[in-house]
Amino acid sequence: MSDRFDSFFGQALAILFALGLGALVILTVDESPMRVLVTLLNGAFGSPERIAGTLLQTTPILICGIAACISFRAGLFNIGIEGQLFMGGFWATWVGFSFNLPPALHLLLAMAAAVFAGMAWIAIPAFFRARYKTNEVVSTILANYVAILITSYLTINWFKRSGGQSETPPIFESAYLPELFSFSRLNWGLIIGLALALAVHFFFTRTSRGYAISEMGANPKFAEYGGIDIKKQTFLVLIASGAVGGMAGGVEALGVHHRFMEGFAPGFGFDGVIAALLANGNPIGTIFTALFFGALRSGSLLLEVDTTASREIITVIQALIILAVSAQITIRRKASDSTAGERRWKF
Amino acid sequence: MEVLERLLNVTLVIATIRTTAPILLVALGGSFTTKAGIFNIGLEGQMLVGAFFAVIGTIATGSPWLGVLCGIAAALTLALIFALLVVSFKANEVVVGLALNILAGGLTVSLMKAIFGTRGSIFGHGLVGLPALKLPNVKDLGWFGQMISGYTPLVYAAFILVPVLILFYNRTRLGLYIRVVGEKPEAAEALGISITRIRYVSSLLCGLLAGLAGAHLALGYTTMFTENMSSGRGFMAVAILIFSNGDPLKILLGCLLFGFSDALSLRLQTLGISSYLVLAVPYLVALIALFALSYRSRPRVIQETLASMGRALSVKSNTVKPAAATDASKP
Repeated sequence: MSDRFDSFFGQALAILFALGLGALVILTVDESPMRVLVTLLNGAFGSPERIAGTLLQTTPILICGIAACISFRAGLFNIGIEGQLFMGGFWATWVGFSFNLPPALHLLLAMAAAVFAGMAWIAIPAFFRARYKTNEVVSTILANYVAILITSYLTINWFKRSGGQSETPPIFESAYLPELFSFSRLNWGLIIGLALALAVHFFFTRTSRGYAISEMGANPKFAEYGGIDIKKQTFLVLIASGAVGGMAGGVEALGVHHRFMEGFAPGFGFDGVIAALLANGNPIGTIFTALFFGALRSGSLLLEVDTTASREIITVIQALIILAVSAQITIRRKASDSTAGERRWKF
Repeated sequence: MEVLERLLNVTLVIATIRTTAPILLVALGGSFTTKAGIFNIGLEGQMLVGAFFAVIGTIATGSPWLGVLCGIAAALTLALIFALLVVSFKANEVVVGLALNILAGGLTVSLMKAIFGTRGSIFGHGLVGLPALKLPNVKDLGWFGQMISGYTPLVYAAFILVPVLILFYNRTRLGLYIRVVGEKPEAAEALGISITRIRYVSSLLCGLLAGLAGAHLALGYTTMFTENMSSGRGFMAVAILIFSNGDPLKILLGCLLFGFSDALSLRLQTLGISSYLVLAVPYLVALIALFALSYRSRPRVIQETLASMGRALSVKSNTVKPAAATDASKP
């Protein structure tokens, strides 16, 4: 327990350190750090609408974060969540506007299309990682660029709404993911995300298969001697991670935009990866880190209106936090001389 | 036949050389870290800050050469942070590299807005690019002369660096030390080579060339800075480094392949093929090459895995990096 507390405390210190650095960066761009902080908080939590807005931004980050957690637990890096999200979003939208089906069935099929698209998009990198150890970090990053370009191509050259800009026709209402409140686009996606976090946490801590996969992430050789089929599990874990990444796209398409367009979801996949890293691959922790990043994102919308700082300052702060935490954890590890160095998903 | 003629001619070769240069510079930079046994996914970010500060430096001083120096200094700063965290603090190299890429993206856009009040791109403001070099007496060489003259200086630098690096790895002590540290860290330690120092040096050398690549992108390849203008070249370089194992000659071949596919895809655009598909070509080529070559090198992978397993069972050394990370960097 005290180890856990230590870890939390160290993490908090690292975040404070990074925020201090962030304040310095804000000073260099001629803006007052205090004013930025107040604007951020006001933008994120200033009213019920803004809180709902924050949760709306949190949802995709959370689901993407869980996708990342699944791969980190097995010692793998799925950095291609952005691409899986674009693919999932596009194909969910396609099912949404191409067919006219009864409500529940339509939603279910569109969501299934998103999940399947995410799985399909990671299948080739996953196969080569499992079979030939082809570096999945590079292959999934490169696949992101391809996914974004291909979905734009499909949208503009094949499914462009007549008279519209670079976007598809809207989906039928039968495929809408229902909204939670009347005053916001906040929808059931958040509930899906929370349920997923609990389910993944349960899987890794309470089932023997989940335990085996965590073991594989912590110490692959040991796991292999223990009789785990590393190739098969590697493939399945990456596919599962891709499925959740695709689902994030489905939630965005069916719950928020109700269509697919260029620049569909800027950077949610990367934010999810960072949120999962900050939570050290723990799905429950990811709920809080995703909320933190969701608040930063939603607060930054007001930032651009009220101050001269750009919203990318948020990205800088996120990166600084990850750098600070990555150094801090290893300092602590050296101090306690633990052998956790084998854990690739740890910092 | 007419289509083929329109696609393949001297101008295509020239375009290939132009598009190869930036990725060649950054990939050669990455060869230092690859050879030293570091998986450096942060090339993209180093290139991006290199490009941004090259533009800032040029506007501030009026001299593109001083701009190049600024770009290099900025990339070196990122490289130093990378080395500090990865080598000294033993933080995870993938995490640190990705975070530095994100930092570079955010920082350049924030500073762009703070300094110029705009988003998107910087041009004008007295920004001048590097001058094109006209080689003397090339008129007599006909089309060949056309092919080798008239590029900006860093294009020549990129191609000259290939033999320089081959000599560096094979004929100099530092080059040998870098290779030993990457291939056999235990042996390096036994020989009294400081692994930490060598890894710092290779990270900084990498930053130097990545900064040069960025500066070339902003002052030679184009004369402007655009948001995320490195557009994945750093990641493609990492893909090339994986299948070339950091060997300069193989890097050159890989980069020429990308330069060619890039130049060809720009041509295809003139034939009326959607620009989205055309833009995806270089990334697809990178992916296909990565997969195809990892399929081919499979026996070696198995050998290495067996060897590393044997090593892990026989000696427990603190200096050996985590097995999983090492395997991933050299599939």
